[in-house]
Parts: sequence; structure tokens; C-alpha cells
Amino acid sequence: MTRADHILITLVAIALPFLYWQLWTADQQANYLLIHSNNNPPRTELLTPQRTIQVAGPLGSSIIEISDGRTRFISSPCTTKACLHTGWLSRVGEFAACLPNRVSLTLAGRHPDFDTINF
Amino acid sequence: MTDKITWLFILLLALAVSACSQPKDPVFHDQFFAFGTLIDITLYGVEPGIAETISSQIEADFNALHTEWHAWQPGPILSLNEKLAQHRPATVKPGIIHLLAEANRLSLASKGLFNPVIGNLIELWGFHDNALPIGTLPDSAAIENLVAENPAVDDITIESDRVVTRNAVVAYDLGGFAKGLAIDRAIERLRDSGIEHAIINAGGDLRAIGQRGERPWRIGIRHPREPGILASIEIAGDDSVFTSGDYERFFEVDGKRYHHIIDPRSGYPASETTSVTVIHSDAATADAAATALFVAGPDHWQIAAKNMGIRFVMLIDSQGIIHMNPAMQSRIQLDPELDATVILGDPLQ
Repeated sequence: MTRADHILITLVAIALPFLYWQLWTADQQANYLLIHSNNNPPRTELLTPQRTIQVAGPLGSSIIEISDGRTRFISSPCTTKACLHTGWLSRVGEFAACLPNRVSLTLAGRHPDFDTINF
Repeated sequence: MTDKITWLFILLLALAVSACSQPKDPVFHDQFFAFGTLIDITLYGVEPGIAETISSQIEADFNALHTEWHAWQPGPILSLNEKLAQHRPATVKPGIIHLLAEANRLSLASKGLFNPVIGNLIELWGFHDNALPIGTLPDSAAIENLVAENPAVDDITIESDRVVTRNAVVAYDLGGFAKGLAIDRAIERLRDSGIEHAIINAGGDLRAIGQRGERPWRIGIRHPREPGILASIEIAGDDSVFTSGDYERFFEVDGKRYHHIIDPRSGYPASETTSVTVIHSDAATADAAATALFVAGPDHWQIAAKNMGIRFVMLIDSQGIIHMNPAMQSRIQLDPELDATVILGDPLQ
């Protein structure tokens, strides 16, 4: 083996524990957001960087905020604003919906805190 | 030495490859709007093609039942209500008869606290519409008149396929029960297809069967007043979890909340309860019971629970105090950061 082989093997040996940690254990937190609107196929969004997203529904636009790995409705053209009252979603498995505007948010990840939410 | 390093390299490479190919997630998840709400389906261990097919069938079922059971859009229930209001006998098909008979049975068990024939009161309050009233209350004399007429399921007689009433003020509105029965139908469809591990969640109310692989299903119960989760429970087997709350459909007049759970005895929204969560094996019973116990309130929920055969109850009263029975306490895990008084009632059985 050449000197380059030794260097390569050493680098792989150092990188592997990190790769394992990344791929097998680092997904306990919510790592993506699923947005359903009006029974269209869901749209997937990462939970960084901080931003707002407009989602079109039958009544108009719902505005979604993403910040610090969390998400919430910040405005929606419904009367009760139940979607806004739900507040931040931060744990995998949580979801919120604006029924009149047919928009829903679901925090998804491989190891959910909850499989579903009762309310 | 070189051989040993080569073998170590091969081993590490194999591990690296395996790290890049995680096993396929055995959980199928789908969501759609139907039945006037958001339906959320979770299946475990079902081949994706089969899961997608069954999810589409369930969506079609919910849409069909929504049309069939709707109380204020053209269909069999509206037609039935029009005939009952004229004291005319109504002929309805067997599926609807079964629906009405089941609703009547649960109403009688609840001693009328769950009342599926106060459709006129619901309409008077404006909850008979997708758009809620803004800033107006119904006429109090009209409410009193409807309450005085005392519409109840024992005014109604079902004979074969005929429905007759001796009280023209009865009008079916199955809002406190139909969702549960629709969830039960969806679970039946799953089981008929050989699926044994699933959750059907319709607008926050759900039935879970089986479990999620090696562990039970984990259900979060949302806080009725604050963002986040109030408590969690686990289900392994077959249980429905239903919550009735004053936050689901409401409007405010002069800062006061008027919600959709009407006390049939007063004609006004039941005011002493914020939310009631019940667990029961079948979803239709859980649905009706959550409504009945909400109306019963913090002083009488235990009697209503016993009458309806409910073994697990958590009620949050209008002061934020949590009431539950010991069996529920043993199943539920309250959020450790929750700052609330908990009153433990007597056992229900």
C-alpha cells in the first residue's frame, strides 16, 4: 500500500462514525414540513432557513412561517382563525389545518414524537 | 500488517455502504380533505401500492358518506327532516335506518345529553352552515320556544324502513356522531383488506388499531387553550380517542365565546366545560359520549360516562382544572411542564 492509501483509510475511519451518527441518529427532530392544499400532492419544505410561504387555497392565500425548525400559520382567509390559534408546531407528528381554506401542515420525520394528534 | 489494514478497510467500506441504505420506512401516511374535515391516514407494514389504493377507497367512502349523511345539503337526511317537520312518515333506505337507530340508541343511553334531533337549535345558532355568524346572537325567545318543544329521540318511531314522529320540531343533525361512525366504517374497510395496524384520524378524532411495529401507537392530545401538547397516550390494540372542545367551531360576541356544543336542556352552548376526551373501542360511541360528557359538565360527567359505558375520561373545565377517573390517569401521560390542577374522580366501574 502506498502512503496515499494509508491516508485514505485513515480519513475513512475518522469519517465513518460521523456518517453513522448523521444517518442513523440525527433525525430525532422534525426535519421537514409537508404542506397539503386542496387535495393536491403534498409539498415538502425544509425547516431552515427562516422564511414565509404563501399557499393558495379555495378562499385565498394562507401564509406559513418557518423558523428555528418550527412552523405555524400566520394568516389565513378563514373566519375562526383556528389554524392560527394552533400556534407553533415543533414536534414530529404534529399537524395543523385551515379547514375552510383546505390547507394543512404536518411536521414529518423518521422517528415521530407522535403518530397522530387528537384535538 | 498490510493484509489486516486491507481487511479493516473492506469492513469499514461495507459499513459505509450499509449506512447509506437505511431500511424503507414501513409507515404509510396520507392526508386529504373530505367529510368537511381533514382526514389523516397512517398505515404500518402495508406495501405502498396497496396502501395508496386503500387510502383512495377510504377517501371515496368519506366523500360518499358526507353526501349521504349531511343534514343541511340535499340528500336523504334533509329530505327526512322536511317530512318529519310536516308530521309526514318518511321512508328511508336501510343504511340510513341503521344510522338513525344507532344515533337514537346512543342518545337514549346518554339520557338525552347527546341529542341528534336538535337540528333546529343548531340552525338557529348558525352552526348549520360552513360560514359562522359574525357578531349576532339568535333571538332568545326562539331558543326558549324550541327548548320548550323538547325534541328528543323518543318522539321518533322507526318501523322497518319508515320513520314517524309525534313532535314536528325534531330535526336530525348527526354532527356529534357521524364522524365516529364514518371512522368505524374506514376501520372495517382496512380490516376487510387484511390491514391490522392503522390510525384513521378525522379532524382530530381517531381510532387506532394494532401498533407501530414493536411499539404502541403514540397519540398526542393538543392543549385546548395553548399551543402544543397537553398529554399523550399509547394505544396497542383497538381504541378510539375523541375530544369535544369549545374551540372547534365558535364565534364571539362582545368578547364572549359561543361554541357549537349546544346543551339541549337550555338551548345555549354548554358553558362549564372547555374540552372532554374519552377513549372507547368504537368511534361512534366515543363521538357521542364526548358530546354528552361535555354537556354533562364537571359535576355530572361521571354519571353520563357510566350510562354510556365509557371507562376513560379526561374533562377540562372552564377554569382549566383537569378532571379524570383513575383508569384514565393510568393511561394518560400529562406534559411534565403542564401547570394545572388535577382532580381525580372515583372509579367509573
